Amino acid sequence: MRKPLLYGALAVLYAIAVAGCDEKLSDLTGPTPNLEPTFRSIQQNIFEAGDPSGRVPCTQCHNAIGSLFNGLNLTNAVAYSNLVNRSSVERPGILRVAPGDPDASYLIHKVEGRAGIVGGRMPFNGPFLSGGQILVIKRWIELGANND
Amino acid sequence: MRWTRVLLACTLLVAAWPQTTAAQNAAAPAQAPEDDPDKDLNESQPDFTLIGLPTTLRVPRFSSAFRVTHRFLRPLGAGDFGDLADDFFGIDNGAQIGLEYRFGLMRGLQVGLHRTSDKTIKFFTQYSLLQQREGGMLGLDVVASIDGTNNFKDSYTPAIGVAVSREFGSHGAVYVEPMWVNNSNQLPSELTDDNDTFAIGLGARVRIRPTVYLVGEILPRIGYDPGVNHASFAIEKRAGGHVFQLNFSNGFGTTMGQLARGGTSNDDWYMGFNISRKFFR
Repeated sequence: MRKPLLYGALAVLYAIAVAGCDEKLSDLTGPTPNLEPTFRSIQQNIFEAGDPSGRVPCTQCHNAIGSLFNGLNLTNAVAYSNLVNRSSVERPGILRVAPGDPDASYLIHKVEGRAGIVGGRMPFNGPFLSGGQILVIKRWIELGANND
Repeated sequence: MRWTRVLLACTLLVAAWPQTTAAQNAAAPAQAPEDDPDKDLNESQPDFTLIGLPTTLRVPRFSSAFRVTHRFLRPLGAGDFGDLADDFFGIDNGAQIGLEYRFGLMRGLQVGLHRTSDKTIKFFTQYSLLQQREGGMLGLDVVASIDGTNNFKDSYTPAIGVAVSREFGSHGAVYVEPMWVNNSNQLPSELTDDNDTFAIGLGARVRIRPTVYLVGEILPRIGYDPGVNHASFAIEKRAGGHVFQLNFSNGFGTTMGQLARGGTSNDDWYMGFNISRKFFR
């Protein structure tokens, strides 16, 4: 009786040791389950696509024509160069995306609706990005805001 | 729902086990009662935990123990002494409460569960490899647990490690407890630098009166280490099968996952208590 119980206990310990748990990124990113912390993924899932929450694509306004009024074109060909290491038009002292520093990036200030932003929280009039979606964008910036 | 049923089944199984055995023994011819040294009082290790960390005290075979943990949520340093007294040192405020039951499945092997009021459930097991009372230099247990939040439906945090103890006669004991805690960071690994915590629990219990002890523990960490390292100290009184402990901690954690996530701040200390009860001799 003793040995089977002992082996069972050791098997449980071994299973726990090798199991390795992690949360699913898709559980966090809600309406955009394929969103990952890469520029390509953010471009495809956030800037250029809406989601089932009713959020509209950023490029609905931030396109070549809209940029004449709102100062930012987020269409595929120019989005990266318009964001990373570029000063904000609304707050010239702040970079739109400061690689490695999400809290110093005006893009994050705007999507979180922080105090001190000029104009409204983005996306304009909502629905806003979920906390998980914002975390993914922050992580992309934290990892260096690479053009990946 | 599924986990609720599993939990209920496990609880019933554990609750029924000793009674079933007792019934079988009653039907069998009368035998001399087994002298189980694990049932003897160990004055250096009167309880199965220090404050949050495990000791190497064995639960005797087919015996069990129950523990209540209570951590008041009011920082003792908030406001002046008048404010603190007005809140009766935090007792008027909310608390994180834990209920724990452990059972000796076989000699040296214990299993148990612990639920805290933030809906975390921890299942744990501990196997005693060495006992100082049996001639070893040290006590050595393998310890494993798994926490799950939201009533064990989310964020599973397995932990495995060893608890090493050294008793000093009946004066107390010191502990070194290296632990690996997986998925201590409750974010997906894509969003984090570290998903695991490696911690070394250090603790001591000193017997200052025949039934009164001072207890302390800290948990330095590497890997995922938000907040500050868990630290706690306590005074406790053993009374028969009970141990009453008044403790002060820099956080509310009582499971390995919670302890790995650290305390809130070294400037915030919280009062709490543990009460444990052994259901044997």
